[in-house]
Amino acid sequence: MVGGLRVHVRGVLSLVAFLMSVMEGRELTRELIEMLALSRSQKLPQTGEEAQILELLVHRDAEFQALMRQAVEQGRVQQEMQALEKEVEKRDSDIQQLQKQLKEAEHILATAVYQAKEKLKSIEKARKGSISSEEIIKYAHRISASNAVCAPLNWVPGDPRRPYPTDLEMRSGILGHMSCLPTNGINGHLPGDALAAGRLPDVLTPQYPWQSTDVSMGMLPPHHANEFGPGHNKENEDDVEAMSTDSSSSSSDSD
Amino acid sequence: MAGKRSVEQARNRFQTELEFVQCLANPNYLNFLAQRGYLREKHFVNYLKYLLYWKEPEYAKFLKYPHCLHMLELLQYEHFRKELVNAQCAKFIDEQQLLHWQHYSRKRTRLQQALAEQQQHQQPQQQPAHGNAASK
Repeated sequence: MVGGLRVHVRGVLSLVAFLMSVMEGRELTRELIEMLALSRSQKLPQTGEEAQILELLVHRDAEFQALMRQAVEQGRVQQEMQALEKEVEKRDSDIQQLQKQLKEAEHILATAVYQAKEKLKSIEKARKGSISSEEIIKYAHRISASNAVCAPLNWVPGDPRRPYPTDLEMRSGILGHMSCLPTNGINGHLPGDALAAGRLPDVLTPQYPWQSTDVSMGMLPPHHANEFGPGHNKENEDDVEAMSTDSSSSSSDSD
Repeated sequence: MAGKRSVEQARNRFQTELEFVQCLANPNYLNFLAQRGYLREKHFVNYLKYLLYWKEPEYAKFLKYPHCLHMLELLQYEHFRKELVNAQCAKFIDEQQLLHWQHYSRKRTRLQQALAEQQQHQQPQQQPAHGNAASK
């Protein structure tokens, strides 16, 4: 198409050259007509010049015809070019439209993929933390039945029951039995507990709040390096000793 | 024989730690520990951090007193450990804990009261209806 364009430009230039020569041709025709008129009136034998001019005129006419044909051809080519340019414009706008749509589609898909990934993440998270509903209900039953999370309906200040293990319960567990407890006959809680309770209760049969019946004996604490120091067990024993201002002499084991 | 021994030891350790972590639910006991300086020792603080494994569901299901987990979380903060030396602090915690403990039973009694009142309102409305039926 570029080659055609170049030819077309050359053609246009030659057209301009032709137009210049047309001016000459007009001059030539005028000259000829003047000469003919002169020869009519003068009857001079100047056929040589006339013939030459006539030949020139015919030649010019032939050139003129050829150039006219060329001009027509060039006009046709020009029209074709315009049509093609319009086509090109149309295709350009089509491509731009497609580009816009593609961008939009990409955006929507990216959003969808992101949301899907988030959903998958949350599904994974939920599945990791899933616990059978039966277990949850069992556990809920256990902690409610012993009044550990909800006070008994007839609780009044002075009732020794608490949402935490009391002094008595603490001593009747394994920790309490880890050291030998001296026996003296004073009942009751620690002074702090006694204030809260409002009165000193009688010795109750020690409950065994620690182990529920379905404690799996295969349950082991996680392995730990001794980074918190070798002395912690000793501290437990010290606590228990110091706390035992009295003791409920429990004869049963904590198994 | 040696294997059985270590299993036994591990079992004992499990029960000991189970008991100890639940003792932490008792604010008076926490005050006791604070006053004797245990909460200032690095070993003890590390031990408290180690005890956080009781929050996992497979261990938590053995806890009878779940309040201890909240106390355990609070105990990770130095500020809390420092405050526990005061007896008033322990008393305050105890009071709030008891009030929270009673929350559900209070709610239940309120619901029961509301239900009883509602029934009382309905009863007088039913009486005239019976009277009309009888007069027919």
